[in-house]
Amino acid sequence: MKYDPYSLTELIRNDDFIAWVRYPDANNEARWQQFLSENPEKRKTVEAARNYVNILSEDTGKNLPSIEQTNKMWRAVESHLHEENVAEVKTDKIVLGWRWLRIAASVALILGISSLSYWYLAKPGGAANEVGLSEVKGQENATIEKVNDTTKPMTILLGDGSSVVLQPGGRLSFSAKENQKKREVTLTGKAFFEIVKNSERPFLVYTDGIATKVLGTSFLIDAPENSEEVKVEVKTGKVSVFALNRNSTMEEREEAGKPELKGVILTGDQKISVSRQSGKPVRSLEVAAEPEEMDITRQLFMFDETPAAEVFSALESAYNVKIVYNKDVFGSCPLNATLIGQPFIDKLTVICAALDAQFEIEENQVIIKGNGCK
Amino acid sequence: MTTFETLRREKTDQELWNGIRQGDEKSFTLVFDRYHGTLYNYGCKLSASSAVVEDAVQDVFIDIWRLRNNLTENVTSVKFYLYRALRRRINIGQDKFPVTEEITFIDDHEVPASGTNSETIFIEGESKNILEKRLQGLIARLPERQVEALTLRYFDDFSIEEIAQIMGVNDKSVRNFIYKALTSLRQNREFILPTVLIFCLLWFL
Repeated sequence: MKYDPYSLTELIRNDDFIAWVRYPDANNEARWQQFLSENPEKRKTVEAARNYVNILSEDTGKNLPSIEQTNKMWRAVESHLHEENVAEVKTDKIVLGWRWLRIAASVALILGISSLSYWYLAKPGGAANEVGLSEVKGQENATIEKVNDTTKPMTILLGDGSSVVLQPGGRLSFSAKENQKKREVTLTGKAFFEIVKNSERPFLVYTDGIATKVLGTSFLIDAPENSEEVKVEVKTGKVSVFALNRNSTMEEREEAGKPELKGVILTGDQKISVSRQSGKPVRSLEVAAEPEEMDITRQLFMFDETPAAEVFSALESAYNVKIVYNKDVFGSCPLNATLIGQPFIDKLTVICAALDAQFEIEENQVIIKGNGCK
Repeated sequence: MTTFETLRREKTDQELWNGIRQGDEKSFTLVFDRYHGTLYNYGCKLSASSAVVEDAVQDVFIDIWRLRNNLTENVTSVKFYLYRALRRRINIGQDKFPVTEEITFIDDHEVPASGTNSETIFIEGESKNILEKRLQGLIARLPERQVEALTLRYFDDFSIEEIAQIMGVNDKSVRNFIYKALTSLRQNREFILPTVLIFCLLWFL
């Protein structure tokens, strides 16, 4: 059979045809319409080829990440934007700079041994599990320790995607090897935790005598080294706080490793102070006051009670568009949103939904109309 | 139909790239914002594990920021750069051999760059919905490399030359992947119809 450059297969593979189907403009539209008018018998073939191209592009493009995935990836990437204050950890390799290694070696040996031995005792069947614990030098079963000896908060990323913002003076340590059944860290000092939810692997924070257990949530722990009290403040989710020290029985330790939450349980916006010695609350459960700015610095497209005027301004500069809106009506409306990774239109949609407004696009301008938040 | 995205004067890739080289966090954020989604989508064609893909995407961007001072000055397409980086990373992670070996097995007779029979017979009256249902299952069963090539061509809009460089093969191989894929997608139907007819005939005899 004669070669037909406009057969179904040829069309589907044709650069210009694909461009016309995917990105029609005045130019290619005119050309292909002319082709069709000169070859009316090709109409069905063209129609079928269009369908193929569209379906191929839709089907191969259906693996876009979910919002949660986007946020997770961005958190990981974003933490590297502030390199001096960031330590990132992967469980399959231990990242130790040489300078850090020297400091860590001395710090770890002197100060770390106490927390390491606590770690050793706190795990059920501790003796069998912790081979070579005393060496903090890059062996697979070793403990990683992060010390914040700077003046700014330090973000630490854990293997499961959770993040810990360690305040100056704080110390966080955890095993290099990932435990299948639970996630564990030891803390001295103050840190804010954002833990990825995993109902099968509880996350435990040991603070010398007190343990805090969550499945996935965000909370703050303040456990200064020589203080009698440990404070826990929950932002979202559910947290259980209980005593776990040298005197705890094997049974108690096993309970700790299970997903069930026992002991004192706190939920969103609650806080408590617990005595290290008794493991019991020092005061009754309180409602946490509006937490102080935890210095999750304002990022492009991440808005936390941000006035709409700032949000619009960020969009304007990022997308090079003018956004027209009534400043009196909208300007100071607070917005909470994480919009990273969403297309411009989606960002506008989310923002307008929060503001009870609508947007219209005219040429290079976006016009916002609505009643605002007052 | 032109979209809003194409209408307004967005910062060009080159502008953002320059920004990154100078350490501008906003430029970097915008590049992530613009490309990480389709990059992830592509990664899913290279690995079945979403964790692997997420890690690889993260690493690509992290590396760009870490090495921002040493990035090449001119980049025609940031997207192209990202995709190549991702593929290298996922291949390293999975210990895959670069697939240049496939080129040698291409048989000229099998795959005409030009010259196919017209097949008007089977396309008449097939609505998009029916075609869609049929194709979705078939596309999923195509060999990995063909799905990869189809994605880069029909979703990511790369040219044959660009796809060749991303996949580490030559232009001809890319055309082969695509041609074979399209042939499979058509052939399966051609095969089914006569088979069904024969089956029905036998059943009623």
